[in-house]
Amino acid sequence: MKNRNVVSLLMLVFGILCVLTLAHAQNAPEASEKGKEVYENSCAHCHGTEGRGDGSAAENLLPKPRDFTRGLYKIRSTESGQLPTDQDLFDIITEGMPGSSMPGWETSLSADDRWEVVAYIKTFYDGFKESETSPRVISLEDKIPYSEESVEIGKGLYVDLGCVECHGNVGRGDGTSAPTLTDEWGFQTWPANLTQGWNYRGGADTEDIFKRFIGGLAGSPMPAFEGDSFLHFGLTAEESTRLSELENKDEMTAAEEEASEQFYEKMDAAVDVALNRAEGMELSAAEQQTYNNAMKVVYEKSWHLANYVKSLSPEKRPESAIGNNVLRSQYVQGALPAMDDAAWETLQSGYFPLVGQIVIEPRQFNPTIDSVNVKSFYNDKETAFLFTWDDRTNTVGDETDEATGKTLEDALAIQFPVKVPQGPTAPKPYFLWGGRLPVYLWHWKASAPEQVTELTAKGINNAEVQEAQGELHVQSAYTNGQYKLWVKRSLKTDDKKDLQLEPGVFVPIAFSAWDGANGDIDTKRVMTSWYTFVLEPVPSSRRFVYPPLIAILSLGLLFGLRAVVQRRNSEEVKNM
Amino acid sequence: MKTYLLASLTVFLACCYVGGAFAADSGSGEMEMLVFPKAYKAKAVNNGGTISGVVTFEGDVPEMKVLEITKDQAICGATDKYDESLVVGEGNALKNTIVYLIDISAGKDFDKSTKLEIDQKDCKFSPHVQIVPLGVRVTMLNNDRVNHNVHIFSSINTPVNKQQTKNRKKMPLKAVKKAEGPVSVKCDIHGWMSAWIAYVPHPYFAVTNEKGEFTLEDVPAGDYKLGYWHEACGTNNKAPVAVTVAAGGTVTQDFTLKLK
Amino acid sequence: MKRLSLFTICLIILVGSWLVLRFVIGGVISVPIPASVIAMYMGLILIAVLVHISVEDSLFREFLRPIHETLVDDKRRVRRRVIAVLIPFFLLGYTYSIIAQRANPPGSPRDAHPSPPLELTYKDEVIGTMQDVVNPFRHYEKDDPEAFKAHVENGRRVYHQNCFPCHGDHLDGQGHFAPYLQPLPANFQDPGIIPNFQESFFFWRIAKGGPGLPAAGTPWDSAMPIWEDYLTKDEIWDVILFLSDYTGYQPRTFGEAH
Repeated sequence: MKNRNVVSLLMLVFGILCVLTLAHAQNAPEASEKGKEVYENSCAHCHGTEGRGDGSAAENLLPKPRDFTRGLYKIRSTESGQLPTDQDLFDIITEGMPGSSMPGWETSLSADDRWEVVAYIKTFYDGFKESETSPRVISLEDKIPYSEESVEIGKGLYVDLGCVECHGNVGRGDGTSAPTLTDEWGFQTWPANLTQGWNYRGGADTEDIFKRFIGGLAGSPMPAFEGDSFLHFGLTAEESTRLSELENKDEMTAAEEEASEQFYEKMDAAVDVALNRAEGMELSAAEQQTYNNAMKVVYEKSWHLANYVKSLSPEKRPESAIGNNVLRSQYVQGALPAMDDAAWETLQSGYFPLVGQIVIEPRQFNPTIDSVNVKSFYNDKETAFLFTWDDRTNTVGDETDEATGKTLEDALAIQFPVKVPQGPTAPKPYFLWGGRLPVYLWHWKASAPEQVTELTAKGINNAEVQEAQGELHVQSAYTNGQYKLWVKRSLKTDDKKDLQLEPGVFVPIAFSAWDGANGDIDTKRVMTSWYTFVLEPVPSSRRFVYPPLIAILSLGLLFGLRAVVQRRNSEEVKNM
Repeated sequence: MKTYLLASLTVFLACCYVGGAFAADSGSGEMEMLVFPKAYKAKAVNNGGTISGVVTFEGDVPEMKVLEITKDQAICGATDKYDESLVVGEGNALKNTIVYLIDISAGKDFDKSTKLEIDQKDCKFSPHVQIVPLGVRVTMLNNDRVNHNVHIFSSINTPVNKQQTKNRKKMPLKAVKKAEGPVSVKCDIHGWMSAWIAYVPHPYFAVTNEKGEFTLEDVPAGDYKLGYWHEACGTNNKAPVAVTVAAGGTVTQDFTLKLK
Repeated sequence: MKRLSLFTICLIILVGSWLVLRFVIGGVISVPIPASVIAMYMGLILIAVLVHISVEDSLFREFLRPIHETLVDDKRRVRRRVIAVLIPFFLLGYTYSIIAQRANPPGSPRDAHPSPPLELTYKDEVIGTMQDVVNPFRHYEKDDPEAFKAHVENGRRVYHQNCFPCHGDHLDGQGHFAPYLQPLPANFQDPGIIPNFQESFFFWRIAKGGPGLPAAGTPWDSAMPIWEDYLTKDEIWDVILFLSDYTGYQPRTFGEAH
């Protein structure tokens, strides 16, 4: 009896908490003049005064600002086909959408203002008014913690469910369907590069990934993987594994044929129940049980998949090389490692984030290349660089730009000054391929992957191919959505137009990259401003001499001091 | 006392959670859509009339564009695929035109015995235009052994975007409740795949065949407006054709369509 | 309880001050304080402590007593030995870390707001002297609020079609391209920016961009485009109206920009 009291009390408290949670999650105020004012001052330039996603900035943006009139929201905590909760809208406004031009408004709008905006945005779509019940929220209760085994299971599902079609073999968004994707409004859209969690629009926590996967990204090509369309819906995990084995056989025996038929019948029955439920029919207890069992497996598998996707990206965006972080070339004795040498694994990458070139027409407002990673070794005579960067498509010059008729292709350029500026106040060449002061460039193009052209430039549209070529040794590869480029050069050359390298000298370095499939051509590109590169001098052997010397010296001082004090003390005693 | 409290609390919670289909008429005025009656009542039709005819295309018939197959060549690229937005047959017969009664408010019930299926064979939807009665499930077939995803761009009903993995031969879709369409059906994985679904509230809809022919049967005697919809030629929503059907009679009404 | 020695109290004061500066003021209350500034504050505190203990001889002796004791008193033998080991070891590690530290590139001294030229130009056309030129649409603010509003709205459009990727939706210099530019884009919400300059100064900076900066502004680093290549004169004046309208800051109207 006593026990039951406790249980019912707990249930009561739990119930009250649930109600409070619900009440809290739906606490957007009624749309007011204030909301309209904040919206028009802070949101309308992208999302449009009517909420159609057609503000004055929209034309230069990709992904396009959301059109609020359709009620389609990508980042939701709710099931497929459901509207977002007010909290979802509030969170997106607060945190922004990484990798897009939607900023977080946490510091620039008060929480009250953000709630007002939530209420106002909802007025653009009547569905919010018409739906009387709260949207169904995806349950995160039975989360499966991250583990190697879970990741392994998720990896299998990643293939079986067809994630590879768009997101590619290792998740770089380079799947074979990637180039042809469009969103609900017909605009081109690219699948997420899952190895860059910092660009996930709705956040990169395992829960975020799980919600995107179960609920889909409404309005985008990303399907919702919930319920009856799930692989082998209605089978247990073991049955599903068994059926997969059978399905992957080229020929089945009669017995196997029959076994798989039975599985299909079981699946059909479960799917039928799920559709009944979705259509609003009352389920019998047995049917409800069937449904619950099936969904349990779906959710379990989805957690495994979420864990796998989580494993693909580093926890944070790598530290950018801006500021005092310098690209340091490490000294080795003997031959420099070739492109696929394991020695490169021992070096840490310099991470150089790229931004669109929006200074000179044609401009690139919507970059698709996030960054370039660079490593370097040098020996007494030469230096070798390894550049890696993600590009979803391998565009090698078989497509043409509609505007200019020029060939579109992927490319990378590495920029140095011709002469290293002497001293901190000495001018560097203009960061966009030089100006009054010239720059020295290595230009690699995907259509000639074994060749890097040396250029001298005095402006972004004023580059000349150097007469003396052939000083550079080049290797390159494109695999699974990633380019690798290896370039080797002598530290010193005979060409006066080349940069001469010397250990310990800080050299400005900058990059430009082109994604042909994104329309990058000429000045339309992504780039960096100046960073710094240095052939890191071999550490001085003094570091083994001076510190012990100083330690011994300090010990001596200590004893000396003691001796002085002692002597003085004895004198004092004597004098007394 | 406690039990009552718990019970009422449970009921309240249940109320909070009851999922409901929501939908809104977003009134996509730009797109040319079918026109549906405000209400429709099914009843027995005795001695109904028939409306039939042929839809032909007027103008230079453009050559059918061969679609670029960008992936899964072994299966999808086995046969040539064509852009089916304008299929003109012999004698300029126009296929895939929906011809229907705009303003019928009562008539026969749907024939629910026929199974509605859209095949995705060789990475191509067939049929290209499918009429789907409200409350009826349409089944997506996949015998391709490649992954497809069924993306239905509804705006009045909830949009659908479901993966149909390569071994999933049949995938029935949830029946919808609101008349809408035609809405575009795509496979994002194979960007060239395209079809149309019209969710309709009454059975007086027909899609023209290769010969451009259509037939609407068991039409109760009366005056009607006859409408059409074609992907590339648009609709006659602004000037529907008036027809009068006599009991047991036959009306012939042909249409000649131009590119919009 | 034993009373704390003066030496211990001084030690506590110093360590405590550092903790407060580093973690309380530079963490809980405000943004982290640069190490050099902390070093300066700590220097001041150290001087204050030294002044305090050296005012009176007795106080100074009291201060030195524990040091004396540690050095010579037989009762403090253990403490003495520990210190004799710790100090050399600390210095060993410290010197090693300094010598083994990698060299860093020289920082570049840069004047964020260099002096403008005497004449304001748009492309090659001379508009007037920097000091005298005023925004030709500014007077609408009083004369014709409707027209003023139209100019501000046009400025808003121009801003969002050209400037916001770097300078941000909120004009706070935090656009989605901003984090990876060096120097950072200007933050117009900073009260030290708009009120300190005349509108002609803004016109100059917008029209000529990074390449138009004089040597003191290290023109080779700023990614600010040369907007006179894309925007009309009126558009630039409109965008300036929008900047001050949105932020609520009024540009300087007389006197020279510093």
